[in-house]
Order: sequence, then structure tokens, then C-alpha cells
Amino acid sequence: MYDLVKISKEDEKQILGEIIELKKDILKMLYQAQSGHPGGSLSCVNIIFLLYTKIMRFKKDNPLWKKRDIFILSKGHAAPALYAVLSKIGLIDRQELFTLRKFGSDLQGHPVKNPKLGIEISTGSLGMGLSIGVGCALASKIDKKQNLIYVLIGDGELNEGAIWEAAMAASHYKLDNLIAIVDRNGIQIDGSTEEIMALEPLAEKWKAFGWEVIEVDGSNLNDIIQGFEKSKKILRKPKVIIFYLIKGSEVSFMEHTRKFHGRAPNKEEYETAIIELEKIKKDLV
Amino acid sequence: MEEKLLRDTFGDYLVKVGKNNADLVVLDADLSTSTRTNKFANEFPHRFFNMGIAEQNMVGVALGFAISGKVPVVSGFSIFTTGRAWEFIRLASHDNLNIKFITTHAGIVGEDGSTHHALEDLSLMSVLPNLNVLVPSDNIELNEILDYALKSHGPFYIRLPRGSFPKIHNQDYNFTLGKPDILKEGNDICLIAAGYGNFLALESISKIEKELNISAKVINLPSIKPIDKEALIKEVNDMKAIIVIEEHNVYCGFGSIITRIITEVYPIKIKCIGVENSFGSSGNREDLLNFFNLNTEKIIEEIKLMLKINV
Repeated sequence: MYDLVKISKEDEKQILGEIIELKKDILKMLYQAQSGHPGGSLSCVNIIFLLYTKIMRFKKDNPLWKKRDIFILSKGHAAPALYAVLSKIGLIDRQELFTLRKFGSDLQGHPVKNPKLGIEISTGSLGMGLSIGVGCALASKIDKKQNLIYVLIGDGELNEGAIWEAAMAASHYKLDNLIAIVDRNGIQIDGSTEEIMALEPLAEKWKAFGWEVIEVDGSNLNDIIQGFEKSKKILRKPKVIIFYLIKGSEVSFMEHTRKFHGRAPNKEEYETAIIELEKIKKDLV
Repeated sequence: MEEKLLRDTFGDYLVKVGKNNADLVVLDADLSTSTRTNKFANEFPHRFFNMGIAEQNMVGVALGFAISGKVPVVSGFSIFTTGRAWEFIRLASHDNLNIKFITTHAGIVGEDGSTHHALEDLSLMSVLPNLNVLVPSDNIELNEILDYALKSHGPFYIRLPRGSFPKIHNQDYNFTLGKPDILKEGNDICLIAAGYGNFLALESISKIEKELNISAKVINLPSIKPIDKEALIKEVNDMKAIIVIEEHNVYCGFGSIITRIITEVYPIKIKCIGVENSFGSSGNREDLLNFFNLNTEKIIEEIKLMLKINV
């Protein structure tokens, strides 16, 4: 049905291995910083990695290329995931990753605008990215550019009213060049999203705002890519892809818990996590 | 003859520059008739964006325009834009983005009442690094300020009143960012103002200068931020006292900024005349100005007190 960028079995193993390495980098960064957000970085690093390597039009040798697709990490606390991916594609020196959150580092706790790294705007205060994406999408329409605007939003972030102001505006202006990505991991700082401020029925909310909704199991690489490809085909309305993801993904004691939303692992936890991740990588078939 | 409304000058200016600057986009929050951005909307409908009654999203969209190379002008009522969308404006300042926040109905609005006055906006905006904060005192100065802001890169906040201000500048006036504009020379006491306060200062002095045999200087400081400290200190050196007049709350307002800058260098008595920690009420502008003691009587009384003139 769609022109799929189908990933072969062999490539899948390669990519899953690379994602494990990104997760190891995230944990090392956070362990060395002794603060930060493991849960929501591990949940969406696969999405960010595929965006930069398979989905977006982006030139790592020229991050300011005029025709580039735009990526806005609205859930700025997933900065370690973004930095790890930018390092993987060669924009950040790997050793620099481990200056995360330290005085004088370009890699602040939340992303700060940095054109050289392709970081378009500072984020961290939640609920702002989708409006920014609407502005980028309108500007591209004025300039008749063919690029796409991707905004990654946390599910807890959807509590913010400005998100829904932006949702209304995107639909009003029929911004089919805007793709919102929801990291639906179900957990925010104080508890589950349904306990704290219920979001469901989430897909229906977006539909009611005039968006095309695509729901995807975020554990399957081909499904993720198919979700993005499908979103590109839909015209005259904005699109949201709700990715069902796992908080703290692939580290057993970080999964499905709020405990590691905003706390770095201690030495023992870090070492255990690395052992677990290496085992998962070894067992990839 | 009644002076042209400053917001009309603003609306006309946008139409004028819109012809030459294809990157200019204008956003409003369902107030384009009041702010006069409707003039731009009529001329350039494809570069005007009515964002509805949603100031946060409006400013967020402007952020997106700015990082895409457009030059967004964001308008609306001063209190709603600076208040509701403050954190989005903080991000514009944080990333030093090229956005011009030009709002109307600042200061004392009048009949709409206490919920609609903007008596806190200068505090909210002046605390933001990178943001230039400008207050015009007549149409001539407004045109100069708009020229400056639109030709410069970076974020600007420009506050306009609902109504008109009397003309106090000549056509040859030149605005310079940060610099004091000397409206009248004098030696004993210095009155410093921005916006309507300049007219009140000049009126007050003209009423009493001869009678009391004093010499008063009047400084217009349209640039609330940045302020050229050295240039300001030079102008107020050797004065016996200073009075700052502002159409704004005196707590953390224009007067507080001026007082800090001057008293860091040398001690001098400074009186800030403005809204004394109040939200105000409904009423016509003149009644409200009197209610807030923003009138020549109050200014003259303070001049006498500070210069120890017994009447």
C-alpha cells in the first residue's frame, strides 16, 4: 500500500544493535552527570535514531541545509537521546557526550539552540514545541518548500494547554507538512498518565481536533518506518503518530516505572543496566 | 487637532514596510481591529495570521517563523500578550530570535477596567535578557522606533497606548537605542520619563519653572532596556534630585530600573511617580490618571518637596 523503506532482517539486527549502543551511551552520560532523565530518553531514542537515519531529509555535513526537514524535541528532557543520536551520526564528538550537564558544556541538561548541531531551538519547558512546529510549517508553506516538520512530544506533556491551542491552529491551517510524534509511554513524573491527568481516549482527542491519527507499536522497526511513510501520504491535514513505547526501555528495572523518570542510575544500577543491554545485543538474532 | 492614535501609526507602518520586506509576517490574537494589524491583513492576507484568542500559541508560532527566517511581528493587547505568553517570550529572548512584540492598550486603558490595564508589562519584559524594551512618547518617535526595531536583528518589545499622545518631538528627531533624549535642559532637578510621562513632565515644568525660579531638566528615555548607563549618569550628574514618571506600577518598574542604575554610581534622592501597587479600576483615562496621581499637580508637589520649596 505504501512505498515502504522496508528493513531487511539483517539490517534490522544491525539497527537494533546500534540502538542498544545508543542506550548505553545515554546511561553512561546520565551516570557520569549523576542527574537527568533516563526513562523518557530510553523510551524514544529508537524513534529519534530512525528519524535522523531513515526518515528525515537531513545532511549531517550541512545541518543548516535549506531544504532540510525540521526536528523539534519538544520533550526536551530526552536531550541525552538526541545527543547520543547526533553523536552517532557524527555531529557531536563521542567524548563530548560525557560532558552532559557539566559547567561550560554545549550539552546542557535540556537542549539549547545550536545551529552547528542542527538543534533548531531550545526546549525543556514543556508544551511549546508544537506551536513552534506550526510556525515552521506555515513558513514552509509561504516559501513553497517541500520539507516536513517533526515535533516529538511526551505524553505527559499533552497536559499542557498550549499543545491543544497548537493542535487547533495546525488543523485550521491544514498543515499537512507537520507531523507530531507522541511518545506514549504512559508514565509521567508523579505517576501514570491516567492517574495524574487522564489522556484517554487520546486518539479521539486528536481526531476531534482535525488531525489524522496513526497508532504504532513502537517496538517494531518496520512498523515505525511504515507509520512515518503513511503519514507522508496524507494531505490537507496535520498528522500525529502515537507511538506506544516503553519508559526506560530495555533496562528491566527502569521499564514501566516512574522511578527513573528524573533520576540518574547509581554505580550498581549503571553496571547492571550495561550488563543487561549487552546481553540483549548479544542475543539479537 | 487630535493627534493620530499611535496604534494607527503602527498599523500604517506595517503596511508600508510590508511592501518592501517579503519576510515580514504579522500575527494577532483576534484583536486585529483594535491593534490595527487589520490594515496589514487587508493588504497582505497571505502574510497575516489570526491565531485566535490563544496568545501562547501565537508567540510559539512566531518562534517557529523566526527560526525559519521570517520576521514575525506579534500583536495583541499588552497585558494578555506579555502575561499569558510570558514564557514563550522568554524563549524568544533566550534564543535571541528576531521577533517584534508590538502590543497596544498598554498602561491605563480606561473604561475596560482593572483586568485590562497593563501596569506590569515593563517589569515582565525588562527582566528578560536580550529583549529590547521600548516605549514611544509620540508618533514621530514611534516611527523612529519601528524603523530601528525592524531594521535590527533580535527580539523587541514595544508598548503602545490605546489612545494618542501629544506631539513632543520635531520631525528631525532621531532615536538611538539606549540613549537619553534631552527634551529640556536644566540644572536643579531632573525629570525622567518614557511615553506619556514626558508630556506630563514638560507640562509641569512649564507651569512652575518661572514662578519658583528653578531650572529643571527633562529626559526622555524611550529605551527602557538597554540603557546606556554612562550617557544617563552624565546627564543627571550634579542634580539635586530626580523624579521618574511612569505609566506603570512603581514596584519593579521603569523607576526601579533607573534608580538602580543611578544610585549604583552616586547617592541622590529619587522619587518614582507612577501607579502605587494597584490594579486600578474603570473610568475615563483622565479620571484614572488623577486617581493614580499621574498628573501635573502631583509632579509639581513632588518637585517642591524635593527642592524644599515652601509654598
